[in-house]
Amino acid sequence: MALRAAVLRHLRVPVQKLTVSGSNQSQIGFLASIRSFSSHDDHLSKQDVVDRVLDVVKSFPKVDPAKCHTNHLSFSRFLRLVDQFVVTTNPQVTPDVHFQKDLGLDSLDTVEIVMAIEEEFKLEIPDKEADKIDSCSLAIEYVFNHPMSS
Amino acid sequence: MSAPFTLRKIGVPPNSANLTEARRRVFDFFRAACRSLPTVMDIYNLQDVVAPSQLRFAISAQIRNNAHITDPKVIDLLLFKGMEELTDIVDHAKQRHHIIGQYVVGEGLVQNTGSKDQGKSDFLKNFYTSNYF
Repeated sequence: MALRAAVLRHLRVPVQKLTVSGSNQSQIGFLASIRSFSSHDDHLSKQDVVDRVLDVVKSFPKVDPAKCHTNHLSFSRFLRLVDQFVVTTNPQVTPDVHFQKDLGLDSLDTVEIVMAIEEEFKLEIPDKEADKIDSCSLAIEYVFNHPMSS
Repeated sequence: MSAPFTLRKIGVPPNSANLTEARRRVFDFFRAACRSLPTVMDIYNLQDVVAPSQLRFAISAQIRNNAHITDPKVIDLLLFKGMEELTDIVDHAKQRHHIIGQYVVGEGLVQNTGSKDQGKSDFLKNFYTSNYF
């Protein structure tokens, strides 16, 4: 132990100051922005939110331009009716469409769409906020501003 | 069985003052039912049979069947029965064929949609639904 200390006292190792050069700094900065194990940086982009919300609205069985309203409609019968009109791109569903005024849905359908959005983005929207969501634009805004949407 | 959403007994007390309150209760019930759908699909292994959106549609269709009612007390009673049904389903008191027969495959029991019954009389078709037709 003492011998080790004595030897070490006599050895001088050249110490280099590691200065961070310009290129290294930018590289580290870039790497620092991708924190792969953090869950806080995966906020959705606005376009992503818009696309997914529009998908949810379009795949709602009652949304189609032909507007067939019948009572006692079973889901499979309705899908067959929609297939007859071959609706692939729904011309009416834009990001600012109003559920009740533009798409002709009623309040129960609005609640159902909000629940579908909850399922898609893994959220749980409290009742007071859910009542206010009346149109596509409000839904997109709410989902985008919610910190937990994924 | 730990569900992320526990079914709070919304517990319909038998007095809604007016139609708006009854309406609010209907929407609350609908939301509770939709939120318990993942649990239901998990319990009864319905992942390959049906999508949650189809079940939501079935629930809303049943609510819409009674949309014409205006008496708050009648709405309360229907909500009570609906709540009872939902609790039974979530508690696994029903079985898979009940869910599939009642909510997935058309209205009523599976038997009605068999092709050999198509041409038969109306009496047989309505036999399971009610005594009065």
